[in-house]
Amino acid sequence: MVKAEDEIIRKRQRDRARIMALLLGGFVILLFFITIAKTGMNW
Amino acid sequence: MPTLELSNPAALPADWRDFLALTKPRVMSLVVFSGLCGLLVAPVQLPIVLSFTAILCIALGAGACGALNQWYEIDVDAKMRRTAKRPLPAGRMDRQSALHFGVGLGAFSVLLMGLATNWLAALFLAVSILFYVLVYTVWLKPRTAQNIVIGGAAGAFPPLIGWVAATGQIATLPLLLFAIIFLWTPPHFWALSLFVRSDYAAAGIPMMPVVAGFESTRRQIFLYSLPMAAAAVAPWLLGLTGAIYGISAAILSFVFLVLAGRVATNRATEPSEMDAEKHLFAYSVFYLFALFAVLVADRFLPW
Repeated sequence: MVKAEDEIIRKRQRDRARIMALLLGGFVILLFFITIAKTGMNW
Repeated sequence: MPTLELSNPAALPADWRDFLALTKPRVMSLVVFSGLCGLLVAPVQLPIVLSFTAILCIALGAGACGALNQWYEIDVDAKMRRTAKRPLPAGRMDRQSALHFGVGLGAFSVLLMGLATNWLAALFLAVSILFYVLVYTVWLKPRTAQNIVIGGAAGAFPPLIGWVAATGQIATLPLLLFAIIFLWTPPHFWALSLFVRSDYAAAGIPMMPVVAGFESTRRQIFLYSLPMAAAAVAPWLLGLTGAIYGISAAILSFVFLVLAGRVATNRATEPSEMDAEKHLFAYSVFYLFALFAVLVADRFLPW
């Protein structure tokens, strides 16, 4: 039982870490394009 | 998903889907749509990435409101069938995580809005979040039947924020859009609260049907629909929009008034006999979507 609970906890931690990594990656890309738009660069 | 019965579910780290549920995604869709319309009808067009960021910030701000609302109302939510399965009352998340998530999301949305567009839009976003959480959720909702009337201002901010994000200033049209949503909120929520009255009564929330009764609520639904309809056609009468919007707004508002009139004359006390209220509630959601959609169409269509 404890082992099974442990597995659920690990799975949730992994899932949350993946989502957080995706969100952070998306945020970095968004910041890049905001910077481009704010500086008025055209390419 | 494992279906194992856990010895202490609250000790688990919350699932990411529960954080998503905390933001009330369905409520967010109307907020995002009205914010987008405010941004699109503005005379200044932002670069696409900045428009996207402005709408993202409005969505995140709405998500923060949802999270903080659920953090504060955990006891009330546990008493209502409609809300008892939310992550906090169901015990799938600890309260502190919801608080941290809500505050973090709100602060992040305001900062990003300020950096990407302008600080006036960020100020309006901050005011709308604080108004929803502090004025509506904490102060008005548990105390007065007028909670929806004054609290409706929080939901009326998105088109104004969208406009200000694009232009950096306030104008008559976004103020009218604010007024439309502000006056639309009481008939919309009171129609719902009539057929889920027992839920609100059990939770001790002083919604209008609980405090003032069915007849008074139905009369007020109709009375609030009149200035709402006037506000809806006002942009056309003031020459701020074209005939496409004006005629559509007049027809949509007329149907709204007819449905509100049916509610005003209904005498049913059992939810199963409240078809008029259910029709008005469903139509009110369509009404706001359609009204804002024709506003955008009016702005971009060439005739």
